[in-house]
Amino acid sequence: METAKENLQTEEFWVNMGPQHPSTHGVLYVELKLSGETVVDCIINIGYLHRGIEKIAENRTYTQFMPFTDRLDYVASMTNNLGYVLAVEKSMKTEVNDRAKYIRVIIAELQRVASHLVGITTFVQDLGAFATPLFYGFREREKIIEFFDELCGNRLTYNYMRIGGVQFDLPKGTDEKIKYIVKYMRPKIDDLESLFSSNAIFTARTKGIGVLSKEKAINYSVTGPNLRASGVKWDLRKDEPYLCYDKFNFDIPTGANGDSWDRYKVRIEEMRQSLRIVEQAIGGLPEGDPTVKIGRIIKPEPGEAYMRTEAPRGELGFYVVSDGSTYPYRLKIRSPSFSNLAVLPELVKGMKVADVVCVLGSLDIVMGDIDR
Amino acid sequence: MIKYFKDIITGAWSLIKGLFVTFKNLFSKAVTIQYPTQKLRMVDRYRGLVDLRIEKCIKCHMCVKICPTGCLSLVHKENAEKKKEFEHFKYNMELCCFCGMCDQVCPTQAIYMDKIYEIAVYDRDKITRIDLLNTGKYDEWAHPTVK
Ligand code: SF4
Ligand code: SF4
Repeated sequence: METAKENLQTEEFWVNMGPQHPSTHGVLYVELKLSGETVVDCIINIGYLHRGIEKIAENRTYTQFMPFTDRLDYVASMTNNLGYVLAVEKSMKTEVNDRAKYIRVIIAELQRVASHLVGITTFVQDLGAFATPLFYGFREREKIIEFFDELCGNRLTYNYMRIGGVQFDLPKGTDEKIKYIVKYMRPKIDDLESLFSSNAIFTARTKGIGVLSKEKAINYSVTGPNLRASGVKWDLRKDEPYLCYDKFNFDIPTGANGDSWDRYKVRIEEMRQSLRIVEQAIGGLPEGDPTVKIGRIIKPEPGEAYMRTEAPRGELGFYVVSDGSTYPYRLKIRSPSFSNLAVLPELVKGMKVADVVCVLGSLDIVMGDIDR
Repeated sequence: MIKYFKDIITGAWSLIKGLFVTFKNLFSKAVTIQYPTQKLRMVDRYRGLVDLRIEKCIKCHMCVKICPTGCLSLVHKENAEKKKEFEHFKYNMELCCFCGMCDQVCPTQAIYMDKIYEIAVYDRDKITRIDLLNTGKYDEWAHPTVK
């Protein structure tokens, strides 16, 4: 018997995962070299969703580029808007008034909750919990989307932030609406957590899977919840406060092991913290007019500015080089998902092929963000 | 052996907990609507198709200049009394990203976004060459009532 096994001819082979694969969250193409069921090698191919947004920016005025930022990370458009306007405002050395700052914080945090709801529930769906958790997550998210719809008139590509303010002031009755959302969301997050965390299959499939060590996470410049799950307490909202985040009390949840379970747990906890920020911000909302005050023509001085913000998926940076005209000379986007995805081959080597989907889901990538 | 039973117990417990959440949702109100028969009302700020109040437009070309996708095209001429007159004003809905910039920038609120969202057509020309000067251009599409 032993000899028969030794004489058996085995061969490693390549399997294509994607570009059309339900678990790759868009059009991602992963080449997997398998030995039996174990992953030996993994190559990531990106570029299927490339639209040349950075190049488009050079041919658009600063204002005109706004709608294009919606299309980067389309699950969290508002935070993309925010990163871009902050970068341009930094290059113009202007600041918005307090009310605009508070509104931006409220919007960004609600967007984080909405984005994490999608991230977690699609992750769980990838693990085989078909549809039900996803629908729960989307039902909860709908409350936030409805609010955004009322705020700016669109449900996905908001185009709400403006350089020097926001497009509209909050509609009437927003205070109650946001307070209701916070009140509604808290028990729902608990529900979702109890649904997943107590599930034996979910626990078995995520605990200890895809362990990302602290050092590796830093070396690969992984950011956001994925970094914090590895035990690094790094959040730009605390460590490099922008807008008025330094006025609010909130905690930075971190994980201990850096496995898929921790990444999921950190996201759940982050949603609670975001709701805390929203609650404080709506309580202390200053009076004023948050709409745009600076002139219509946006012309930063020649020079450059880099602004990084904490988007739901990690550190989102916009690097604006201006030559003094109304068009950016160069716009570089540092997207969080790109770096987060780069760590995937390291994580999946030596793993069973079924766990690749689990790790990929736990990293919570969005292809629009990666390919740009 | 002990692990085997422990697994069964935790598995059963997770099943009960999961079913509890499902059970709770069983008695909550439905959040979906029956779409073709029931329709949502669009919010005030909803950004649907671009439309024009012809008499208000002063032909300043602001909307054409701001449009990030270049889907508006306006040509005007001056008549004998030095007054601006339309030659054409076309809108290419296929390129439009419904960003609302034109609406925001117009000094006279002539160009605006209406609430039409059911815009499937068989003929592509119908959406690529919409004539904004034609008042009956959107007649074939349903005009949902505004909230
Ligand atoms: S911005 Fe308004 S007034 Fe000016 S051309 Fe466009 S529609 Fe007419
Ligand atoms: S909504 Fe945006 S893309 Fe569409 S016509 Fe107006 S400015 Fe152009």
